[in-house]
Amino acid sequence: MSHAIETRGLAYRAGRDFAIRDLALHVPEGSIYGFLGPNGSGKTTTIRLLLGMLRPRSGSISVLGRVVPRDLPAILAQTGYVPERPHLYPHLTVREALQLHAAFYAGFDHGYAAELQAAFALPATRKLSDLSKGEMGKLLVLLALGQRPRLLVLDEPTDGLDPVVRRDVLAALVDFCSQGAAGAATVFISSHLVHELERICDWVGVLDEGRLVAELPMQDFKNGIKRLRLIRAPESVAGAPFVVLNREPSGGEQTWVVRGWEPRMAEWLDAAHAELREVADLDLEDGFVELLRASRAPLA
Amino acid sequence: MFRRILQSQWKALRLPVILLAVLAFALPLLTVTYGGRLEGAPAGRVAQWLYGAQQIGLLLPGFAVLVGVLTGIGAWTSDHAGKHVYALSLPLSRARYVWLRFAAGAALLLAPTAALGVGSLAAAASVTLPSGVHAYPLQLTARFFLAVLVCYAVFFAISISTRRAALVVLGVIGGLLLADGVLTVMDLRATVTPTVLMWLTNWPGPLSILIGRWALFDV
Repeated sequence: MSHAIETRGLAYRAGRDFAIRDLALHVPEGSIYGFLGPNGSGKTTTIRLLLGMLRPRSGSISVLGRVVPRDLPAILAQTGYVPERPHLYPHLTVREALQLHAAFYAGFDHGYAAELQAAFALPATRKLSDLSKGEMGKLLVLLALGQRPRLLVLDEPTDGLDPVVRRDVLAALVDFCSQGAAGAATVFISSHLVHELERICDWVGVLDEGRLVAELPMQDFKNGIKRLRLIRAPESVAGAPFVVLNREPSGGEQTWVVRGWEPRMAEWLDAAHAELREVADLDLEDGFVELLRASRAPLA
Repeated sequence: MFRRILQSQWKALRLPVILLAVLAFALPLLTVTYGGRLEGAPAGRVAQWLYGAQQIGLLLPGFAVLVGVLTGIGAWTSDHAGKHVYALSLPLSRARYVWLRFAAGAALLLAPTAALGVGSLAAAASVTLPSGVHAYPLQLTARFFLAVLVCYAVFFAISISTRRAALVVLGVIGGLLLADGVLTVMDLRATVTPTVLMWLTNWPGPLSILIGRWALFDV
């Protein structure tokens, strides 16, 4: 499988308290990759490292098969970027911002941009400083999509937007990904809104305190994290074919949260003389929380 | 690409640039108004007029610095507001982007320069000069352009620099003043700051363009 984004041993430090540590991302080409993490976990910093805005202390970054920072102009020519906070020049109008942006991208699709502008109901003559937060969010997505990029990097694109605007933006993204011309496009989208990513992503990476806690297909993330109710649960989980994220006693039983569960693994519990009473699905948000909890306080 | 950056920069700075252009047009005319009329004037009156006109000329280097400061700092205002994220996400090298910004800002300098040129030509045409006195509208305009370009470049560079670089510059200035203080206390005749200033303001120092005669009318 080829990767649109690949990092190895990526490390970065900002101040005394925050660091990205040994980050190894593998974003499959053509995937919609959700980059999950709580606020302050390092998602924006990682994105800035990927796009060459920050220089890592160590490690390597490859984007679209090219090396960051050596090949940055070529990479950025094929990358649409929607930052966390609006970054456009506030004195420009919507039309002028479009013209300025298009001037830097040879393949900018003016027709598609006009379609999106109409769909988003963005007034061409309105100054950016007068746009609402929702309108600004739509404009940022419009500019990125208008480039017809091979890689779309979205940093919390719907954060702070009302549900209607959020739906419009996500619909535009889904449309873009489903269009034939953009068949090979990869979308890298960061968010702390788990349910939002659940709807659109096929891969997910979870970041916490600068470390990648998990990276797996969304299907595995949805189906592979279970809550088990056990009687006579074994003390040691050494040799278990799944990862125990959390274990809590409740009455005479124990509740385990495990990752990578498959039904045949019940045999391992039988062999350990444990009785499996129940296997329950966790919703995505609970799974996300359990992953974070396990990464912060790993079981012995 | 350059046209769009110029358009963006013009839109951000058009009010101060227009205001500066109006001032640039008015300053040479002020030279003439200050001196009054010269037809049939005695030599003493001409000398007095010339002196008055040259006093107005002293304002021009300061005005050139003002134009350079406003356009130099203004060139980066929009990017500073967005913490340079937009510029850094564009598919061109940082050096090329800086040059595009620099060139766009330098192009804006043409407006006050042209206004000064027109004002100087109008001022020169409005007086009949006695023999031995000459008007230098084109030379003054060329000198003004070079001066604003130098000031613009200096403040463009200062404005783009990081806080650390600004601290280094301030540290160097502080170090020079401190060295002078120490040398004075030690009763040594060597001076540092005046030597550096001399180097900067005498040819081929970068600020030498600001020093010397800036008169529209001279002998």
